Amino acid sequence: MISTAFLIAIAALGLIAWFTARAKAKLFVSDGIGTYSRPHYHGWHLALWVVIPALLIWLVWQAISPQFVMAAITSLPIAEQLPASDFERQTLLSEAWRLASDPNAGSFYPLAQELAGPIAAAQSRYAIIGALIALIAAFTGGAYGYSRLRAGFPARTRIERGVMLVLLLASLLAILTTFGIIASLVYETALFFQKVSPVDFLTGTHWSPGTAIGDDIGKNFGAIPLFWGTIYIGVIIAMIVAIPLGLMSAIFLTQYASQRVRRWIKPMLEILAGVPTVVYGYFAALTVAPFIRDLAASLGKTNPSTESALAAGLVMGIMIIPFVSSMADDSIAAVPRSMADGSLAMGATKSETIKRVLIPAALPGIVAGVMLAISRAIGETMIVVMAAGAAANLTLDPLDSMTTVTFQIVQLLTGDQEFDSPKTLSAFALGLILFIVTLVLNIVALRVVKRFREAYE
Amino acid sequence: MNRDWNSPVMTRQLARRHAAERRFRFFGLAAIVLSLSFLFLLLFIMLKNGLSGLDWSFLTGSDSTDPATAGVWGAVKGSLLMMLVTLALSFPMGVLAAVYLEEFAPRNRWIDLVEVSINNLAAVPSIIFGLLGLAVFINTMQLPRSSPLVGGLTLALMTMPVIVISGRNAIKAVPPSIRDAALAVGASPVQTVFQHVVPLAMPGIMTGTIIGMARALGETAPLLMIGMRAFVATPPDSITAPASVLPMQIFLWSDEINAGFVQNTSAAIIVLLVFLLTMNGLAIYLRNKFEVSW
Repeated sequence: MISTAFLIAIAALGLIAWFTARAKAKLFVSDGIGTYSRPHYHGWHLALWVVIPALLIWLVWQAISPQFVMAAITSLPIAEQLPASDFERQTLLSEAWRLASDPNAGSFYPLAQELAGPIAAAQSRYAIIGALIALIAAFTGGAYGYSRLRAGFPARTRIERGVMLVLLLASLLAILTTFGIIASLVYETALFFQKVSPVDFLTGTHWSPGTAIGDDIGKNFGAIPLFWGTIYIGVIIAMIVAIPLGLMSAIFLTQYASQRVRRWIKPMLEILAGVPTVVYGYFAALTVAPFIRDLAASLGKTNPSTESALAAGLVMGIMIIPFVSSMADDSIAAVPRSMADGSLAMGATKSETIKRVLIPAALPGIVAGVMLAISRAIGETMIVVMAAGAAANLTLDPLDSMTTVTFQIVQLLTGDQEFDSPKTLSAFALGLILFIVTLVLNIVALRVVKRFREAYE
Repeated sequence: MNRDWNSPVMTRQLARRHAAERRFRFFGLAAIVLSLSFLFLLLFIMLKNGLSGLDWSFLTGSDSTDPATAGVWGAVKGSLLMMLVTLALSFPMGVLAAVYLEEFAPRNRWIDLVEVSINNLAAVPSIIFGLLGLAVFINTMQLPRSSPLVGGLTLALMTMPVIVISGRNAIKAVPPSIRDAALAVGASPVQTVFQHVVPLAMPGIMTGTIIGMARALGETAPLLMIGMRAFVATPPDSITAPASVLPMQIFLWSDEINAGFVQNTSAAIIVLLVFLLTMNGLAIYLRNKFEVSW
């Protein structure tokens, strides 16, 4: 309530400041003196001097006022009744906090109900104090800005410097995100490696986090079956499907197809890339997996499981075809026409030109495309969640069920867990490994493409 | 050269090479036909299973445990709210970052680091963003689980690099003569960019944004991480209320044992594909309509 009133007040003050400064600047113009910047820049300048100090102080106040409220509450006589144990105290206090903002919420502790009233009162008291301090800051800022207002004042330059700062901050958000990802993953992984040794994790072959209790839990967190499942499904099976189909599609589209055919077929291949992965997963679970299971039964396999690595890998390969195809397309198109023409002039057929001249010349780009496709495949989650299984198997049989890193991350983190248990922490460790591997693949692939492009320009 | 092109040896060799050429061409065509037939098979199966379930009560009803009365409206509303949050956060950040990197940034190692960061973030698996959302938004900032707010924040982080990359390409496509003309008339660099370059690059930026949004609409994995796996019976009424989204609803229904849900899942998939087709079609239409060849 107070916050909304405060924000509206600040907005109104900013508006008044804008009109005032602009009017004063216009006076300079009409007096014949002229101004360095157009009047509305002066308006913005004063408005920012009013609004920004107030908002900054208000944000800082929002962050520190809960501590003031907490101090005020614990000094009350009722607070003597708070339980001594930390855990109970925290629960009671957080419940009282919740009740202070929403009186109709359910509550366990009667003491929390009693505390809710004083908490709400203290909160509004400190909110008013904060709002007043911010308003004083607004007026001070406004006075300072108004005193600087004269004809030669470079208002526009100041404003534009501010705009550049905002642009820079927006760009830094990307670094902040990357940094946030790395920091949170590394922190949680470090916590995990305090409980389970890295060697056990990276080289162990037994994965059953559900039975991990007691001292020797390191034995249950061997991640090799997960890595194997990820590689088998995402790299081996999916690439066996995607590389031939993608590469030959790209060759046909660039070399053999007419313009009209290319104009229709290329968007349709892009649609393959645009279908959400959950749809592919459902397609795999509904149609492909039973088909593979019946196939396995007819081949004589006893008790074939519905969740097979082949089903997941097949559908994943289909999903990846457009990635391979478009990268191969770009690489083949980047090869200079003179090379193909020279080969054709010497009497080679079109297929011989492609096989012996174009593909070897475009090979770096194609390999980079395959690496990007692999990186996409090993990070894929929904298809494996819906079509592959949770059984951490180390087998060579594609008709068996296998699990992957991404499936386990989902499995370990859904459901109510304590955030500190080794189970949830292992998910972050798996996530860190996934992140590093895909990052390395992407960096190498992009560097290969860049060097390859330079070679032909 | 004294080679007899009509000798039987040479004729056989030529015939072999021409046959190889025909085979190769056939394999190329077969590859495309096979790939597209997978796509058509998928669409056909979804339509066959779900088309009969698409009626008005399905489109306006909420989720329920009984397959006959379950509907998608709750999930659709959750998706719309989440898309709004994602758009509101990622579009300004993405466009401003693209403008800075393309127009104002100096060429030094720090800016190279920013560019590398953005290119890498665009290729990070989406589940990693889910882990980030779980660790930062839910645990550190204590935002409500399974709400469109947290989902939108997570997906905004994922969509921003896409908008930055397509925005940079759009701004790069505006010819230097526009900038030079504005500067020559006396505009400052900031005025040139915001009043001349960005309006001209806007169609390209919009296309990239719509494509990024379409990608975010179909994402499920990061939302699994932030707790959207629960059964939500009523549509969300604010961005902090627990909600579900359309792809998540498809995932939850696909897990159901009751075979009656097959129709619902397929119908929901049809709804999702229609949304995505519309968005991509809109992006292509915008690109074709406003594309100016300089």
